[in-house]
Amino acid sequence: MVTRIKTRPGRLLGALAVSLLFAGSAQAADPDKFKIGGVVSLSGTYGIFGEDMRKGVEVAIEQRGGKVLGKPIQVIWEDDETKPQPAVQKTTRLISEGVQVIFGAVSSASSIAIMNIAKQRKIPHLVTMSADDKITVPHGSRYTFRTSNTLGMEQRMALSFTKEQKLKRIYGVTADYQATRDSWEWYRREAEKAGVEIVGADFAPLGNRDYSSIVDKIARSNADGVALFMTGSDAVTMVKQAGQVDLGKTRKIFGPVIADETMAAGVGPASIGVYSGVRYHFSVDNPANHKFVEAFRKKYNELPSSAAGEAYDGMSWWLDTVEQTGSWDKEKWVTAFENSVRENSVEGRKAMRACDHQAMQDGLWGVVEKGVAPAPAYTMKIAKVFPPNAVFDPCQP
Amino acid sequence: MSTLIIGLSLGMLLFLLASGLTLIFGMLGVINFAHGALYMLGAYIAFDIGRHTGSFVAGLIGATVLVALAGALIERLALRPLYDRPHFYQLILTFGVILVISEVVKVVWGLGYQESTMPPALAGTVDMFGSTIPVYRLFVIGFGALVSGGLFLLIEKSTFGMLVRAASSDGEMVRLLGLPVASVRMAVFALGSGLAGLAGAIAAPLFPIELGMATNTIIDCFIVVILGGLGNIRGAVAASLLIGLVRAIGYSYMPSWVDILTFSLLIATLLTRPQGLFFRATRSA
Amino acid sequence: MNASRFDLWLGLPLAAIALLLPFTGPSDFMLNLATLVMIWAVFAIGFDFVFGLLGMVSFGHASFLGLGGYALALATQMWGLPFCAGVSLAIVAGALCAWLFSFFALRVSGIFFALVTLALSQLLYILADSKLRAWTGGADGLPGVARPGLGGIDFFDSTLFYWYVLAVFALVMAAVVVLRRSPFGRVIAGIRQNETRAEQLGFDVHRYKQITFIVSGGISGLAGALLASLLMYVNPQMLHWTTSGDVIIMTLLGGAGTLWGPVIGVLAFEVLKEWLSGWTQYWYGILGLIFILATLFFPKGIVGELQERYGQWRDKAARRDGRIS
Repeated sequence: MVTRIKTRPGRLLGALAVSLLFAGSAQAADPDKFKIGGVVSLSGTYGIFGEDMRKGVEVAIEQRGGKVLGKPIQVIWEDDETKPQPAVQKTTRLISEGVQVIFGAVSSASSIAIMNIAKQRKIPHLVTMSADDKITVPHGSRYTFRTSNTLGMEQRMALSFTKEQKLKRIYGVTADYQATRDSWEWYRREAEKAGVEIVGADFAPLGNRDYSSIVDKIARSNADGVALFMTGSDAVTMVKQAGQVDLGKTRKIFGPVIADETMAAGVGPASIGVYSGVRYHFSVDNPANHKFVEAFRKKYNELPSSAAGEAYDGMSWWLDTVEQTGSWDKEKWVTAFENSVRENSVEGRKAMRACDHQAMQDGLWGVVEKGVAPAPAYTMKIAKVFPPNAVFDPCQP
Repeated sequence: MSTLIIGLSLGMLLFLLASGLTLIFGMLGVINFAHGALYMLGAYIAFDIGRHTGSFVAGLIGATVLVALAGALIERLALRPLYDRPHFYQLILTFGVILVISEVVKVVWGLGYQESTMPPALAGTVDMFGSTIPVYRLFVIGFGALVSGGLFLLIEKSTFGMLVRAASSDGEMVRLLGLPVASVRMAVFALGSGLAGLAGAIAAPLFPIELGMATNTIIDCFIVVILGGLGNIRGAVAASLLIGLVRAIGYSYMPSWVDILTFSLLIATLLTRPQGLFFRATRSA
Repeated sequence: MNASRFDLWLGLPLAAIALLLPFTGPSDFMLNLATLVMIWAVFAIGFDFVFGLLGMVSFGHASFLGLGGYALALATQMWGLPFCAGVSLAIVAGALCAWLFSFFALRVSGIFFALVTLALSQLLYILADSKLRAWTGGADGLPGVARPGLGGIDFFDSTLFYWYVLAVFALVMAAVVVLRRSPFGRVIAGIRQNETRAEQLGFDVHRYKQITFIVSGGISGLAGALLASLLMYVNPQMLHWTTSGDVIIMTLLGGAGTLWGPVIGVLAFEVLKEWLSGWTQYWYGILGLIFILATLFFPKGIVGELQERYGQWRDKAARRDGRIS
């Protein structure tokens, strides 16, 4: 495997000099390498997730001997600083460097921006992290695929959890952001249909740093469940501050994407007992996952996070599909991937849906518990596995 | 009533954060964009000391002292040649400092969230006014009041304060009198930075510790400094408490409008009372 | 010191590079970078009207840039207007926003000007990010911003878009040169040197400042439209105060108040960033160190320092020639 982090020094100045000398620097089109352009966040809000995705992809490539179609695989990693503008810039650069597929990004805003370039330049685009439902819609982009979870899946599990726990009165807190707002509105509608009373709903700005007023309102309400539609720093701050008044002792705290090991590490003891949708988990019991977790531990001396697992899974699936086409034609890869099924994914069976390019898969619902080494101090335990038909709507054209 | 307690604790935390900034601005005329980064550094240091020694107090002291030292270093190496140049040079310089500090934090502590637990003595809750209030919030209020009192005495009543004020109003004259203006300036910058570190240590158990702290907080600090009047410590106390209360009430009733209202208030203040809401005829510390 | 001859000496090679670049078979990436640099240079030139010529630090320029981008996006996507109309609207939007800001910001001076513009633009950013979501797409932004369409020419092609931007850039440069040399430009220079004197000479200083601010806003709006078109994407991040911070740094790096300073500053900033981020993962910190060192040792910026050297060299040459003759 050849891994190069971003461009070599002086390439730019070199290229400029060469250009000026009229030597011409034609892009070598012959595929002596399989180039993957990875646009992930290595700094900014989601920097931690990008780093883990990189690790997952590297294990995926190593496991296949660093080759696909008989050629060595090269990944060029770029940092989008968790902002869409650099994501667009870096993607354009990667495409001009002749990458065969774009992998990323972390934040949905970046992924959506990349999606448009990929569509226009006809370059396959693989998403394994961003959960916004807008990324995989019927008649979306022919070139963009998502192998990871959607927010829609997670919200269905949250609803089902509400019913199962027989929660009667829900207080909802939502990050003031389109995707989470949509998700909350859906949940609210469905929950009310099921006879659940919504006793309060607040929308806090993205990046809010103090939830104590909202926590206090929840504590004084008669809610028996707290539904949190937020993620990242917002989620960590909210759950941490809820813990400061022991909100979780008397009420069930849950949300579609409210917790994973990364976020729980920031929350601390207050994360115990919080329920959340889980994208991927190292404890999933199947041979493919055992093999991956072992390889990951050997290489990095830690257990793979959900970001790492999803990245590994999506990339292995993609590379296997490319291998099977035996061709260097991107269109063939896209067509093949559209109809592919992965029986031995690390999360069980995954099937790509041709109509919207979303991988149908099991939904994992988990709860944070105290971890025992080598697991992190606060670790997710899978509480329930939902079959695909329970978490996905049929594809509506 | 619980809203009042929450508002006060938010306000005091804001004050701890902004006091260093307003001190540095008032005394040195320097806009320190890196103040948020110093605050973040304080939180990380407190977290790390706490993790290794198990002592909250050690973290508090360690963060204050180490960040103050970092501040002294920044002043000595970078800011000193810039006092006579226009403000925007300090702006770029301190912007550069943000990038350097963030890089250091990234290398030392990594990209992930860190978590620092409350000291056991302050970890409980008390029931007041029909709400459950974390003891730590009350501690923040008390501690903030203590620091603001101490600062006030230091600046207004002590010899050091007199020297600082003299140096800030006419540095050249003080220098001619044979007093060490350069050292005084360095001390002020170190003190302001130390306050940022202290704020970071106090905030560490309340918030997730992450790299975003550096840029998220600086705008909050500016709001307090502007509303309180540039360089006015008493004004900063009042402004912090006002903002804290407005936020606590705002978050209870219409959280998504809080920031918009805060900025509207800020603009109105800048236009009608540029010296701050609490300006009185003579400038105080 | 003859500034205009210096500007010419500096401008000629830059123009030559810009004109020859597309014929050297550059990669898409090179062309995109060059296009990006020119667009940001237009923004920096617009910004420097207020910063370099009037000596006022504005943190509001992110608003003008962002509004320009959104004006183009909305005009072409929502109202189906042609690209040219969208760009014109972007200029108008930037200018209009600057005009509105000027009522608030020009009442105060010095540091307060910076703070008022910061607060205003941050308010706009927060609104765009939350309450105006239906128009701005919220944090996700609006993808698929148009590229120019002229008689079937495909401006999705990087080379053609490069020519388009180069033409706009050249027009802006020419306009700036003319404006600087016009009576208006001289009055502005006079205001910067001594505001009271200009006032006593009977100039309506406030009015001149306001017009400069509006022109600056219009140019920034134009840059915003081009940027949105290059990226085919616009989001509220463009309106964030850090965007204003970036343009301040670039302008100072190149040399505020000089003709080519903003352009060279943008070029140096972007190339440095690309180069550093390819060279080391610690590029953020190193970039910070470079800012610190540049502030300390090259306060006049690259072009400012060069201009000074050039002036010294000319003086020396003149003296030597004088002695000989």
